[in-house]
Amino acid sequence: MLETGLILRALARNKIGALLIALQIALTMAIMVNAIFMIQDRQQQMQRESGIDEANTFYLTNTIFGQNYNIQAHLQTDLHMIRNTPGVIDAVQINAVPLSSSGWSMALQHESGEDKDAVGSAIYMVDDHGINALGLTLIAGNNFKQGDVEIRKDGQSTWPAKTIITQAFAENLYPDNWQSAIGKTVYISQTQPMQIIGIVKTLQAPWNGWDGVERSMLVPFQRESKGSYYFIRTEAGRRDELMPIIEKALAQSDKERIIRRVTTTEDTRNRSYQQHNATNKILTTVVVTLTLITGFGIVGLAIFSINRRTKQIGTRRALGATKGQIMRYFMMENFIISTFGNIIGCIGAIGLNMWLVNTFNLSPIGIELIAFGVIALFIVGQIAVLYPARKAALIAPATATRTI
Amino acid sequence: MLVMKNINKIFQTADIQTHALRDFCLQVNEGDFVSVTGPSGSGKTTFLNIAGLLETYSNGEFLLDGEDVGTLNDNGRSRMRNEKIGFIFQGFNLIPDLNLYDNVDVPLRYRGFNSAERKRRIEENLERVGLASRMKHLPSQLSGGQQQRVAIARALATSPRFLLADEPTGNLDSEMAKGVLTLLEEINQQGTTIIMVTHDAELALRAKRTIQVKDGRVSELDVVANIHQASA
Repeated sequence: MLETGLILRALARNKIGALLIALQIALTMAIMVNAIFMIQDRQQQMQRESGIDEANTFYLTNTIFGQNYNIQAHLQTDLHMIRNTPGVIDAVQINAVPLSSSGWSMALQHESGEDKDAVGSAIYMVDDHGINALGLTLIAGNNFKQGDVEIRKDGQSTWPAKTIITQAFAENLYPDNWQSAIGKTVYISQTQPMQIIGIVKTLQAPWNGWDGVERSMLVPFQRESKGSYYFIRTEAGRRDELMPIIEKALAQSDKERIIRRVTTTEDTRNRSYQQHNATNKILTTVVVTLTLITGFGIVGLAIFSINRRTKQIGTRRALGATKGQIMRYFMMENFIISTFGNIIGCIGAIGLNMWLVNTFNLSPIGIELIAFGVIALFIVGQIAVLYPARKAALIAPATATRTI
Repeated sequence: MLVMKNINKIFQTADIQTHALRDFCLQVNEGDFVSVTGPSGSGKTTFLNIAGLLETYSNGEFLLDGEDVGTLNDNGRSRMRNEKIGFIFQGFNLIPDLNLYDNVDVPLRYRGFNSAERKRRIEENLERVGLASRMKHLPSQLSGGQQQRVAIARALATSPRFLLADEPTGNLDSEMAKGVLTLLEEINQQGTTIIMVTHDAELALRAKRTIQVKDGRVSELDVVANIHQASA
């Protein structure tokens, strides 16, 4: 028969130790649940698709230092050479790389005018090879045509007449029917009209922490600039082999520029989420450490409690308690303390989450995570008390008759 | 009936063997009140521990109510302790965090009685020892004599066939000791077999039989049918 009532009344007369452990469980619960929530949130962010063919793409920077350098002529030569390298699927000049933390942004608005609402977006300047070179999926409308591509000089403030946007951006601009975006005219730089000719499934912005990271647009520009990126997509499995070949070919073809920072998009993603990864490792360490401390705290309290009650346990055995009943007593005692701790912990976890939601704009914690926390701490508690309870069960009934 | 035949108990440490009981033989009949005396280290407590199934013996034969104790496993011994034996300890051994009601309740819960039955037995036995009005008190709020009465109520609550008392008045002054002993005599008269270990010769004489234990054996010459009890 369970001794719940007796345990409760005994605990009520020896509150301090039990209360401290219950509070430790509560604190662990509140921190653990929110830390796991933050880890999950970061994991979800890290698992988002960038939209580009990350496994088979790389990029490099092309920095020109030569005087009287014909940028346009060299650009076309470079792209022709890269695109015709065996194993290369496509290549494009681009102004920024997704998830690289460095890029350009503009805003589009439905109506022309200075005081009209506008929605921010990352902007990628590419030619008609952009979609293929990046490995994007066009889900509505059309790609740019060669004739759409304009030359953009540094400092130029006018924009091409066409754009391709991401589905997320289309949903933001046309919430009722994102597909209706095709053919619509929007305005960039407040007054310059631009027609949406295509929609790609996904293309993330360069900044992973931006809440509009899924909003991006492509514009048909080739930049006449002394600094630009070449973005290259290779056949599956040939990226690493082609990286040094293309770097060498570009470097040797022209001595008036520097080719450097040859980087895979996978590395860019890893660097982009370096802080997330580090934070997750710290949070995981905190969760594991706290859980271990709580587990050891339970072990410590239970051992202390058993040592203090050795004669009492012997007496219980003398009165007819089996070893199993003694074990159950301590496991039930821990279950009661854990229940109390978990109730306070749930309140604490929700309170802490509300603060995190308000302060860091996180989404509210799910009930399933709280349930996980409760179950996990019950299991930790029961495992932690197992050894002390077993120790208690092994106390000989003859202990009851010992005077010392 | 309790029958011990040639019971030996050897405590073994790394390099020392101690014979606590040697060929210990004893028969305690239904309704007996037996006092067990002897000098310190004679084996009294070892005998009581084995008789109360608190400890196992090395060899010999021990029958309790006709059941061979040697065949029982730990759970079996626990069950038999709970059903057939009540204990009274020198230090009372009440659980300090539980009130009198809950203290008496402890062995009843191990027995698996329902709450109504437990309540009836607790109230009846606390009434029997004169402490029904104090059932919500903690042991620390009682005198030594009263605490021993609670321990007796707890021992009797499961209606045991045998009551084993280990120096039941050892921690009490003479007045309280008299009261406890009178209570034990009443309980014995109502049919419960009592085996009491004591140092106190005067106390021992109030039992129906006195057994002297020396060097782990019962000295037959010292088995005395106490005259005053027999004639009472």
